[in-house]
Amino acid sequence: MALQNVCGLQHPPLFPEWSAPLSQSFMPEESTPLFGGGVQHGGAFSARLPGRGALSPLEFYMPISEYLTQSPINFGQISLSSAPKNLLNNNIDIIHPSMPCISLPPPTPCSISPSVPLPFTLSHGTTTLGFAFQGGVIAAADTRSSCAGQVACPNAPKVLPIHSHLVGTTSGTSADCALWKRILSRELRLYQLRHHRRLSTGGAAKLLSHMLHPFKGTELCVAATLCGWDGGGEKDENHAITQVTESDSSSQSAAVCKSKSQQVVTARSGMCGPRVVYVCSDGLRLQGELFSVGSGSPYAYSILDSGVHWGMSAQEAACVAREAVYRATHRDAYSGNNVDLYHVTAEGWRRRERENLKDEYYREKEKERKRVAERKNEKKGV
Amino acid sequence: MALLDVSGYKYRPRPNSASQFGFKQTHFLDRSIHYSFGTKCQEFAVPVGVDPSTFLKSCSCEDGVSIDLNHGTTTLAFKFRHGVIVAVDSRASAGKYIASQDVDKVIEINPYLLGTMSGSAADCQYWERLLAKECRLYKLRNKERISVSAASKLLCNMMLGYRGMGLSMGSMICGWDKQGPGLYYVDDNGTRLSGRMFSTGCGNSFAYGIVDSGYREDMTVEEAYELGRRGIAHATHRDAYSGGVVNLYHMQEDGWIKVCKEDVSELIHRYKKGMF
Repeated sequence: MALQNVCGLQHPPLFPEWSAPLSQSFMPEESTPLFGGGVQHGGAFSARLPGRGALSPLEFYMPISEYLTQSPINFGQISLSSAPKNLLNNNIDIIHPSMPCISLPPPTPCSISPSVPLPFTLSHGTTTLGFAFQGGVIAAADTRSSCAGQVACPNAPKVLPIHSHLVGTTSGTSADCALWKRILSRELRLYQLRHHRRLSTGGAAKLLSHMLHPFKGTELCVAATLCGWDGGGEKDENHAITQVTESDSSSQSAAVCKSKSQQVVTARSGMCGPRVVYVCSDGLRLQGELFSVGSGSPYAYSILDSGVHWGMSAQEAACVAREAVYRATHRDAYSGNNVDLYHVTAEGWRRRERENLKDEYYREKEKERKRVAERKNEKKGV
Repeated sequence: MALLDVSGYKYRPRPNSASQFGFKQTHFLDRSIHYSFGTKCQEFAVPVGVDPSTFLKSCSCEDGVSIDLNHGTTTLAFKFRHGVIVAVDSRASAGKYIASQDVDKVIEINPYLLGTMSGSAADCQYWERLLAKECRLYKLRNKERISVSAASKLLCNMMLGYRGMGLSMGSMICGWDKQGPGLYYVDDNGTRLSGRMFSTGCGNSFAYGIVDSGYREDMTVEEAYELGRRGIAHATHRDAYSGGVVNLYHMQEDGWIKVCKEDVSELIHRYKKGMF
């Protein structure tokens, strides 16, 4: 798909793996006869950026209604044979009777399909946090993935790198978060290829927010904090997402803006530096210095409020983030197991070793015990 | 009434308080307008014919009127080597309206017992004053102070007597008795828990983070004061329903002292120097 887009193909043929683009200019006759009989399971959806020729405003792929009735996972869905059809579909029916029915995008996806009753209530328990300081951005999260009161996975990664200088913390439904993070990565990569520079964190947040907007009012639940470093220089395509292990984390942004660039593009002034933006599937998009999301967030907030200040060192920042997640996991039942910590600087993101908080708890108890014993000995000695 | 109790005067409790009006002996009878510990039947003057539980159900269900009792406050208390620290905020909210920024949420039961209040202000004040009465009676009858455990149990039993009738109270009873510093959490459900540290109200989670992280069993007294202040200050910073001033008390062996009453905005400015 990426290759096609870059090559500027105006009307990509329908592929069975992806759903059909719902553009106005959909030309049935250009579709390849790749469909056998019946319906493909192309029920995935993705979005396209503007800029593909004069074509389109932001276009959104909607789930093909047929997919929902034919899906092997039936959560008690009702028949969708009454889904609205339009003139385009009539055309398709004539030419390719085996093609899936595609509805034009209505204002919200709710009118395509009635909301599917869930097999169980979703719980959104986690602790994630992100904050900016002079040395970059710290993003941290626990690793417990809970489902209806049980721990589904004790090692779920909740901080997902999106590209070399942007990580996103995820909270809400794990499936939704993982999918939308991948979609966002794809779109940002396309942007980078087309425009020879990375999209800023604010831009990425806006993009994500607009992509999520059609699903407002549905069961989609994504609450992400995008933490990134907006650089000024151009990053060439060979700049892979590597783990920079030994780089100095407190480098100044001014120096890095000018480094490592092949084709320098004039950066917008004042746009360099660490950035934290919160995006939520309700449509909320907030820029700030410090965010914490999830059921454990109140516990983390108070520690972050007291410990975070702009001038702190990277070491201190990592400590505060770790402590905040640790305290939240101590009190919140839906957070726990390990803590993941990412530090984003001008050179990219760097990941800290995943730490098990149970060990931390026992270490602290041990420290406390030792200190009380010491004091007792001191008193005895005096 | 206390004198009647102490002198052992017996009176027959009537099932229906309304019928007592007009009797000859009314001036001797303990009007059952408040709870009397020791009687077999409950004597709270509920209006005749009204069942509180069904009335309240109609208030809280979706198709009826919805009365949403918010526990808008933050209170915290923790035990440490040198006693018990009690810190509370001072905001009273009625829905989204701030009714007062200067409410006293700690009731001084007696010089060696403190009770905090969260939940419905009316319920807390009433029942804790009742508890104060019972503690005083205990002291008069038994010539020694009531233990913290017994005081919290009295309050707990009062709550259990009206369970399901819509009381809303989350309180911590703190004191120093023969066993040392005592801290109990008592709830309108009848929960009674002894512990080292509690925090109640909707700002409690913010306070927990701070106190968990800063607590050391062998803290000095000044450190403990600072921890209590910080806990409330950060909770008021993030929670909309908490605010006003921090009222800080220290329960020592020979009674409690009121340490300070500081405005939270000043505290927050002090703590968050780097952010502003």
